[in-house]
Amino acid sequence: MGSFTLGKYLPLNSCIHKLDPRAKIIAMLIVLIAIFLPAGWLGYGLIALCVVSLIFLAKLSLKFVLKAMKPMMFMMVFLLVVNIFVIKTGFVIVSLGSFAIYSDAFIQTLYIVVRLVLMIMITTALTATTKPLDLTLGIEDLLKPFARFKVPSHEIAMLISIALRFIPDLIEETQRIMKAQTSRGVDLKEGKLKEKIMAILSLIVPLFVSAFQRAEDLANAMEARGYAPGAARTRYKVLKMERNDYILLAASGALVIALIILSIL
Amino acid sequence: MPIRFEKVSHVYSDGSPFTYAALKEIDLEIAEGKLTAIIGATGSGKSTLVQHLNALLLPSNGKVEVLDRIISSDEKPTKLKSLRKDVGLVFQFPEYQLFEETILKDVAFGPKNFEFTEEEANAKAKKALAMVNIDPSYYEKSPLDLSGGQKRRVAIAGILAMDPKIIVLDEPTAGLDPQGAKAMMELFKELNTKYGKTIIIVSHDMEHVFNYCDDVVVLEHGSVRCHLSVDQFFKDSKWCEELHIIPPFVIQAKQMLKAKGIEIMADVKTVDDLAYEIAKKVKN
Ligand SMILES: Nc1ncnc2c1ncn2[C@@H]1O[C@H](COP(=O)(O)OP(=O)(O)OP(=O)(O)O)[C@@H](O)[C@H]1O
Ligand SMILES: [Mg+2]
Repeated sequence: MGSFTLGKYLPLNSCIHKLDPRAKIIAMLIVLIAIFLPAGWLGYGLIALCVVSLIFLAKLSLKFVLKAMKPMMFMMVFLLVVNIFVIKTGFVIVSLGSFAIYSDAFIQTLYIVVRLVLMIMITTALTATTKPLDLTLGIEDLLKPFARFKVPSHEIAMLISIALRFIPDLIEETQRIMKAQTSRGVDLKEGKLKEKIMAILSLIVPLFVSAFQRAEDLANAMEARGYAPGAARTRYKVLKMERNDYILLAASGALVIALIILSIL
Repeated sequence: MPIRFEKVSHVYSDGSPFTYAALKEIDLEIAEGKLTAIIGATGSGKSTLVQHLNALLLPSNGKVEVLDRIISSDEKPTKLKSLRKDVGLVFQFPEYQLFEETILKDVAFGPKNFEFTEEEANAKAKKALAMVNIDPSYYEKSPLDLSGGQKRRVAIAGILAMDPKIIVLDEPTAGLDPQGAKAMMELFKELNTKYGKTIIIVSHDMEHVFNYCDDVVVLEHGSVRCHLSVDQFFKDSKWCEELHIIPPFVIQAKQMLKAKGIEIMADVKTVDDLAYEIAKKVKN
């Protein structure tokens, strides 16, 4: 699981790392909208260019970003298989008796794959350059205007930050329990179905037990330090928008406008 | 045959910004049939080192020889299962590995994975539970309902039930009460002397190292600083001073006596023995 890069923060020193999380979140949302505009291949090329240069500016290696796609591989292959059976338009590429594979199956899949890849790239660019805590601060601030509609922005942010905070712990815990059970002869890769079920059980039960234990400990620790969800709190870190943040917003705005024009034309 | 580390290095997350060399060219030979302590500051690589013994971690470089087997970076994982039966590894806070409905089942889980029948596994489990002093009345209880110390003992029984030749324990007494910790160390000593098991214990407790272990290996920043017999290690006060270790009580007392002009030459381990030696000295 050491190669698991989706959502991992990389402590590098780049201009993207220093941007205000709020600006980055909004920019990401704008790019996500742009990805879903039906602007054709030219549009995707444009977005890809922007995203790749963003990754380059953030000093992230393309390898790191591509690694984040790994979990999606299976989904993409699955999609292709489904499309091969379902889509019957375009021209025939291969035909085996009554069964034929059509070109649109590939084109449709490619469309979705390109969108997925771009989405993963842009979200990875966000999470790899923004500390989870900053990310939640940003989300909290962005949700504040919705407090009028009874959206509990602080609670949501706290939930997210706690969840994010525990992901590495849980991964570590999983690895630890896996090692402990491997020492007791558990083989997670091989064995009959029954043994496999047992192996997974030997992992999940201790994981749940310790997750609940941690949750309880944390809740107690927070209460002991006087945390109350609704109460007013001061902040250690105050976010401030600067020139570069506005440049990012303007650039992503320009991108989405370009895409809208492309999709109308 | 001894356990041999030859130029073993281990690098975590190689090739990423988080890369960290936890072990650096370790050369080490751990004697068979002895009780060896591994000590060192936190982060010095003790846990990393012991996880090489049953090939949970493979060396990034170099090789480890354990029981006629050679573990190196290109080891095939399929051959490792039988090694794990012969080298039982108990992790730091092993109570987190309990998962079965009953204590007996949980302890029998290990032997069952190593192709023992249900009856054999249960017999081994009962024997192991007796060793760690868990009463038969507990067998059908859930392991999750036990106290921390009891859980720890059940988890250790889970490894003992596999009847390994080498038993490796990563800080087995951390967080136990002094009585429980003492009983635990006595159990390991007994496994060593009575059943001839090779035992390797990672420990922070110098009293335990002094009273129960034969040899001591000191790790420092991923390298072996020294490897001596326990008696030699504590006899020479330079080691404890250099490594910023507070020596065991008996050794401290001996040093204080020496400063006052009473030098006790005998290798005493307990306060009673020390008192006896002092009395002898005073009489003369
Ligand atoms: N999975 C991992 N990935 C990266 N680095 C790690 C990993 N596990 C341990 N390390 C690092 O390797 C070093 C040695 O760790 P190790 O757990 O072997 O230390 P230790 O001597 O057992 O310490 P302690 O007494 O605290 O248990 C530490 O600096 C730790 O940060
Ligand atoms: Mg350790």
